[in-house]
Amino acid sequence: MAEDREVLREIWEGRIPVCFTLAEEEVYSGEQPDPYYLLVPRQSYFPLVTDKVQRHFVQSVDPEKHGEMWLEYEGQPLKWHYPVGVLFDLFTNGNCLPWKITAHFQGFPEEELLHCPSKEAIESHFMSVVKEADALKHRGQLVNNMQKKDHKQLWTGLQNDKFDQFWSVNKKLMESSGEDMFKYIPYRIYQIDRPYIQKLFRPVTEEGDYNTLADLLKSVNGGESTDNREEVLKNRRVLIQGIEPPLETPVLWLSEHLSYPDNFLHICIVNKIKNES
Amino acid sequence: MSDENNSVNNEQTPASEESENVDNVGQDKKVDEAQPHETEEPDSTAKPATSSNNTAPSKTKIDVLLKPAGDAPIMKKKKWAVDRNKPVCWVSEFIKKYLKFTVSDSLFLYVNQSFSPSPDTEVGVLFDSFGSDGKLVLHYCKTQAWG
Repeated sequence: MAEDREVLREIWEGRIPVCFTLAEEEVYSGEQPDPYYLLVPRQSYFPLVTDKVQRHFVQSVDPEKHGEMWLEYEGQPLKWHYPVGVLFDLFTNGNCLPWKITAHFQGFPEEELLHCPSKEAIESHFMSVVKEADALKHRGQLVNNMQKKDHKQLWTGLQNDKFDQFWSVNKKLMESSGEDMFKYIPYRIYQIDRPYIQKLFRPVTEEGDYNTLADLLKSVNGGESTDNREEVLKNRRVLIQGIEPPLETPVLWLSEHLSYPDNFLHICIVNKIKNES
Repeated sequence: MSDENNSVNNEQTPASEESENVDNVGQDKKVDEAQPHETEEPDSTAKPATSSNNTAPSKTKIDVLLKPAGDAPIMKKKKWAVDRNKPVCWVSEFIKKYLKFTVSDSLFLYVNQSFSPSPDTEVGVLFDSFGSDGKLVLHYCKTQAWG
């Protein structure tokens, strides 16, 4: 399993300062309410942390028209079922703090966002992704052999931001020695305006060498032709957990240490210069 | 429900062109399974994202095999050619219409009889990781079956 506990803890403690404001056109009574500031864990999901934001704004919107709260950054609706850190890395390019997010109570973008009816919906989404990850790593054997209370502990550990509680169970899923060696690396690669990429990728080559992040990027086709891939990467940053890891880092190490609690390695490929696109 | 699939044949199918060569109404189910329907009509609108992937066939539609679990009714035609970029929720809606579910009926879809993919997941993505023998097997049921 993952050995470097310090790295795991640093990753777990990643926080993003967020400034929420209510969409101006939705202010119904009185003046624009004050913005609401929150330090949000990267590993979390927005609906787990925005109850207070919702309560703060809901009194200023039309009670007749308001529906489920949804969030938007610069015109981009934010998917609640992606970890907060992924949304930040993908859309902000990491250079604007606090992160200015607009809250809406009207005009839910049905085409782009999923509804989040309850905390149970987040839990069931989270556990599903954990199971998918284990299906890739261990043919699902480890997660399926766990007891229900272990699943619950993973979830409550994340929900309550308890590192030890979460990792005492998660370390079993991160087992990658001997027979439990990861079969495939659970990863997703995100780029703006494209569906994410997820394919089968082995941690070790047939010759027994570790596959690196560069190997992983080479193995997927992001819609660019293969010839100019290096040229393309020159103008891009590869972000995992807000970090640009060296491209020669073994993907297995990244998977063990920089995966989100859902056990996936979420990789964002973004432009180097913000206005370039 | 044996004759239900006549009615869905021409309206609202996952791949109306393909359905002609897989959906021979009234024939034995086994015939469906053996049909090589990917040979027809490459879809030029599809993204090139899969074109250089050597591990998966570079076609724009994939074969999805729908299997009931628990008390879910059987679909007479089980195998459908679906665009790679269609989301899972589209497949759910299709099954619900095919089986004439009411609005209040829920439907759960599972991969590997283990996890329930997010409704916005593209079936092509699932196929790349969890397809086997050239098709993606999805189990559907009316109540939560796994996890």
